[in-house]
Amino acid sequence: MTVHALWVINKAGGLVFSRSYTDTLPPLPLNTVLILAGTLHGIHAITSRLAPAPPPGAPQAGLESFEAEGWGGKVFLTPTGTKFVLLHSIGHAGLDDLLKRVYEIFMKNPFHTPEMPINSAQFDTRLQTLMATVNA
Amino acid sequence: MTIYSLYIFDRHCDCVYYHDWHRTRPVRAGPNDRPGVHRLPTASGPGARESIFSNANSNSNSASGSGSQQGLGMGQPGQQQQQQQGPAPQANGTGAASKRGLPFDEEAKLVYGVVLSLRNMVKKLSGKDDEQFTSYKTSQYRLHLYETLTGYKFVLLSDPQADSLRFVLRQLQTGPFVDYVVRNPLVDLDSRTQGIDNDQFRTAVDRHIRSLTMFGP
Repeated sequence: MTVHALWVINKAGGLVFSRSYTDTLPPLPLNTVLILAGTLHGIHAITSRLAPAPPPGAPQAGLESFEAEGWGGKVFLTPTGTKFVLLHSIGHAGLDDLLKRVYEIFMKNPFHTPEMPINSAQFDTRLQTLMATVNA
Repeated sequence: MTIYSLYIFDRHCDCVYYHDWHRTRPVRAGPNDRPGVHRLPTASGPGARESIFSNANSNSNSASGSGSQQGLGMGQPGQQQQQQQGPAPQANGTGAASKRGLPFDEEAKLVYGVVLSLRNMVKKLSGKDDEQFTSYKTSQYRLHLYETLTGYKFVLLSDPQADSLRFVLRQLQTGPFVDYVVRNPLVDLDSRTQGIDNDQFRTAVDRHIRSLTMFGP
């Protein structure tokens, strides 16, 4: 399994963090990534309304993962509405654990202002080492 | 394991065919639906079905196998029921409406919108124009997409545990779709005013889907 990229989307649909970890997916201009993140936020809301047979009493649940040929994306929604999106190669194993680890690293920065872009070098390096162990 | 519904969209972004099986949140016919797309019980006007009685009615309808085997051609099987009910009292608020689900045209637009946005996103992200978006999943259902070269989009909703069902959509295209729609002189393929529904196609699709092992009891 390879992790191609990671996005963090705040609860309003704005992109607060994005990093690419391989060259498999071509680098995109930041504006395009911002638009795509916003689109994904909207898609997440719509997909939860399309459930054809929701179990009675269950809360609405939006997009969890999507697939293309050879790669896919995994969306993890935290209770506060922040979304972590992993773009990865197909053949998932341990993606949920990985997203939990990322969430943990994200939560452990006391100086971060919620919903604002993440400009912490330490967050970045810790993610780099985490992804390096996964991609190795 | 089960299969919920099938949508076919043409290259004009219109839904031209709809069929459902195990839905517990049924969709209802909208007032402006084009003919020849679905065989949901018809609503005779906006608000006509807004009663607590029609709620129970539409539930039992969808549970009994989607009303697909009625063999009424392009007719609308729901009409008799509607007349029996008489003028339904304008009553009940949003509770019943949310249980009944969205009107069909709204739902079809949402499905198409999601599919198109995700497809474009996948193409942008991969940087390749021929990258195919194949499926997405929530904890409650999974959506599969198969796009033909002629721009038809086959969309299937199944339960989330199902494996990729694109091969089924391909079989539906090469089998029933080619036999009973493309080679059927009575079907106007590029029509903007009506769908592609006909008895043979609907029966063949129904038989094919029910024969799958993941269709369930």
